[in-house]
Amino acid sequence: MEPRIGVFLCNCGGALNNIDFEAAAKEVSKLPGVARVEFSSSLCFEEGKQRMVSCIRGDNLDRVVVAACSPNFQEPGFQEVIERAGLNRYLLSMANIREQCSWAHTGDVTAKAVKLVKMAVNKVRLLQPLQTKEVPVSREVLVVGGGFSGVSVAVQLARVGFSVTLLEEGKVLGAGMSELESFYGFDAGQVINGAEMDERIEILTSCPVLEVTGRVGNFTIRISKDGQEIVRKYGAVVVASGYQTKLTSGSEAKSGRGIVSQEEFCRMLGDSGLARQPKTVGFLFDFSDESSRFSTLATLNNALTAKTKWGSEVYVFYRSVKVDSQGTERLYREARDCGVVFVKCEAPPSITAENGRVKVKARDVFAGEDVVLACDVLVGEELYLPAEGTETLSSLLNIRRDSRGFFQDENVHIYPVASERRGIFFVGECRGDLGRPRVLADISSVVAEVHALLSSGKMRVETEKVKADPQKCVACLTCIRVCPHGAIQLVRADGGKEVAGISDAACFACGVCAGICPAKAIAFQGYRDEEILAQIEAI
Amino acid sequence: MSLENKNVLVVGSGVSGLSAALELANAGTDVYLVEKGAVVGGVAASFCCKATDICSRCSVCVVPDKIKQALSHPQIRLFTRSTIKEVSGEVGSFRVKVLRQPQYVDEERCIACGLCAQVCPTEPKAIYPPLAGATPFSYVLDKGGCLRFKGEKCSLCKDSCPTQAIEFDIKPKEQELKVGAIIVATGFDVFDARLKGSLGYGRYPNVLTGLDLERVFSREGYLRLPPSGREPGRIAFIQCVGSRDEGHGYCSQVCCKYAMKLAGLIKYQNPDSQITIFYIDLQSAGKGFAQFYQEYKKMIRFIRGVPVEVSQVVPGELEVKFEDISQGKVCREVFDLVVLSVGISPGKDSWDLARILGINLADDGFFGTKDSLASNETNVDGIFVAGTCQGPKDIPDSVAHGMAAAAKAIQVLAGVASHKTR
Amino acid sequence: MKAMDKQIIAFCCEHSAYAAADLAGKLRLHYPENVLVIRVPCAGRIDVIHILKALEKGAAAVLVMGCEDGACHHITGNTRAKERVKYCNMLLKEIDLDGRRVEMFNLSPNAPHKFVKAVNEVVNTIRQLGR
Repeated sequence: MEPRIGVFLCNCGGALNNIDFEAAAKEVSKLPGVARVEFSSSLCFEEGKQRMVSCIRGDNLDRVVVAACSPNFQEPGFQEVIERAGLNRYLLSMANIREQCSWAHTGDVTAKAVKLVKMAVNKVRLLQPLQTKEVPVSREVLVVGGGFSGVSVAVQLARVGFSVTLLEEGKVLGAGMSELESFYGFDAGQVINGAEMDERIEILTSCPVLEVTGRVGNFTIRISKDGQEIVRKYGAVVVASGYQTKLTSGSEAKSGRGIVSQEEFCRMLGDSGLARQPKTVGFLFDFSDESSRFSTLATLNNALTAKTKWGSEVYVFYRSVKVDSQGTERLYREARDCGVVFVKCEAPPSITAENGRVKVKARDVFAGEDVVLACDVLVGEELYLPAEGTETLSSLLNIRRDSRGFFQDENVHIYPVASERRGIFFVGECRGDLGRPRVLADISSVVAEVHALLSSGKMRVETEKVKADPQKCVACLTCIRVCPHGAIQLVRADGGKEVAGISDAACFACGVCAGICPAKAIAFQGYRDEEILAQIEAI
Repeated sequence: MSLENKNVLVVGSGVSGLSAALELANAGTDVYLVEKGAVVGGVAASFCCKATDICSRCSVCVVPDKIKQALSHPQIRLFTRSTIKEVSGEVGSFRVKVLRQPQYVDEERCIACGLCAQVCPTEPKAIYPPLAGATPFSYVLDKGGCLRFKGEKCSLCKDSCPTQAIEFDIKPKEQELKVGAIIVATGFDVFDARLKGSLGYGRYPNVLTGLDLERVFSREGYLRLPPSGREPGRIAFIQCVGSRDEGHGYCSQVCCKYAMKLAGLIKYQNPDSQITIFYIDLQSAGKGFAQFYQEYKKMIRFIRGVPVEVSQVVPGELEVKFEDISQGKVCREVFDLVVLSVGISPGKDSWDLARILGINLADDGFFGTKDSLASNETNVDGIFVAGTCQGPKDIPDSVAHGMAAAAKAIQVLAGVASHKTR
Repeated sequence: MKAMDKQIIAFCCEHSAYAAADLAGKLRLHYPENVLVIRVPCAGRIDVIHILKALEKGAAAVLVMGCEDGACHHITGNTRAKERVKYCNMLLKEIDLDGRRVEMFNLSPNAPHKFVKAVNEVVNTIRQLGR
């Protein structure tokens, strides 16, 4: 059946006065399939919209082209209008004769306007209607990682009504948390207790993840528990796998005792049975270019505590203090006021062992002289690294990491807590060196995102907007590997053939799969090959 | 847990306010987004993209996305040119009086065709186009310059407007909103560089702030010095102007990175330029920056020591006096352009708004929070703060903070269910 | 037909280049009217066949415009597009067509000047080629 296309030309109240609309309308009405050409001066106002509706109904139009302003803003608005008129909202194509024609050129804009309309007409002739539907989503959330971030996010999620499984690879929750307590200012026991006491949180320890399949709202996770495999379904996955620190090679205790990590030093500070309190303590940080906020905070806190608790002489050798977190500048001043000596250097100090103590030799930038210090304890410089198992987890989840191996690609559009896959989120230091204020904000941000995604128990999706034709698909797996959003998996079509299945819920409608499919089996409604080529035909 | 009848007021439409509004709206909450200015997007909307061959992660392109999403969301109602006059009630039932200044040009009808400005008889024009990228993209009528408001019978703009968007007889309007929670996301003001008089801002045309530089790139796409129009060859960035000093005991967090990224952009456009950054402690930590830092170290000269004086010896050339700490001596060097990396200061309206809402200010002038380490809760239940009005943050952190505030508002409105204990 | 009269097709990603082109229009930054923009959800949707068909239909040049490297809204879409453009350049070389007729540009939505600069650059190239 021949389409009956309605073309609506708008001159934005007369503003597009360099276009000869009469001539344009005449040209456009000659195009095959165009049943009606209508001129308006204000299509986006209610009067214009109502006229459009009555035109569509009156003339039995079944497809619509709107030649006016940019679809980037008005497409949803006009889709709504044609829906009001009884058409499927996807049977609309727009020609941008304003921002990209009338306003952008000084030459023959009428000819260009006609061409743009022709392109839109060619496309709209081929458009297929699309339906939307609601798919159910699980309101259970999996949190991977039982450190501060993982436990906190589990507690907050439970508070807004989600059932949470808190998964920890190790034996206990919050391993290593108590050492950080003193300078992060929280009560580790209280935090963990909050999770353990909440009936809505299931805690699984010593349970590594074996496999992740499925899509947002319906992830299938296989977990190893007590030597057995259990399978669970979750609506969203929150990764809170943390980080680790490692002494730099320059700081490693080559010659035996004397050089410790921040964590070990914390333990010393907390050890009331410590045999001998060190009289002279040295700290090293920020000589590596991958210096962290964490090491600044750890150093400042530990230096201050060593000074106030032990009364030791405390020297900090550093290049730049990373004070770009709330409260850190204040802490820095407090440490200085308390008598901690900060020695600013450009080059890394040299470290040797001498008579059972650690000798640090550094060039003080301000004094212009060398400083030589013999420490009882030297807290070495630490690198801030992704936790062990990050690489494995990232391949299980099929998500990218950044240039240093931390979770979450550095792409600014997925900041702060999203991943490129819908329904998978990151929180806390597993994303990189954040510092506590950012971690706290992350935790609540994830709660907001998960809530928006899953709280209603259903998700509205466009049905088969992007679909691999089971007849044409040869299961080459290219689209599965290429999909930037992890939305495609191998499924069984009717008849048993294995084909690529694109999840409506997980798809972002980018079309990268359609562009790469060697068999041209993927139809992306609105941007199919024939629809794009039809626009090219009009030039 | 239904949120249908629990509206939230978000004050401020910068990137943090927009993020909060979007999270709330996506969760099914109705949001009133109140903005004191004529356009949305906050300060970051006037920043430029700093990509060279690759994206430099400045996150400025996040702003147009957020604006587009928020303005087309059916559950967000935007009030521009509106301020909060009075607040009463409590969490779950706040009553807020909002005063809306007259918009002589109706932003919903204006299509920015420019016909009004063409016919306007005043010079400079009393009706003028919005800034690049401003949203809503509608013309602005300046009462101060307009003949009609001076008593004359001019209505040329109104008569020429094809969409009848111009109305003169509009009075400020007061409206009462009933909301369950309030999120304050009113942003920041840049440090006024004129307060450091010896650095020459406001006296020499070739001394700009970082914000000025962003706007030059945003408007022009390139860096040309007024009035000669030539490209500057020797450029100095001075860090910590209005941060980490007597009046500001904090680091503004964004300046070192934005200076380096702007330097990278300048160098990309003009490979012959020589760029120097004067700093105290270089803030180069954080996700994704290490790879750039290596490149910046190669192309920028970093000098430890913040200059105290910028003077103009010859017009168009600035002399910077500084102490090079690593050499231990005072030096003088000539530059074509000096950029002051100004810090983030509390908004000038914060004091007033704090009084109206009954929330505390911290001793650095930003809004205070219950927790000493940057959370969103204030001393008033149901009122939250988000973004730079609470303390310096970059764009991604402002987004996160806004989303966090939304989450807290949702939790409070749902009534924090007392969790069942075993 | 003179080179200047021939069409130039610009496949523009809706998130970056299309928005930048809109902004250029809003700011009345003028560029030649023989540039026709085809809007796509991501530069990664564009396949070699689309580019070649455009040339076959008579386009003097084809631009593929997407987000800045590292800022693609779909993470890897712009990288895919770049690879395909390179492949096209190679094909063109084999049939003695100037490789500059097909080019990839990266920009962000708030960079209207970059859009106009890219378009003008290609128009100039076509003028020089004279066909």
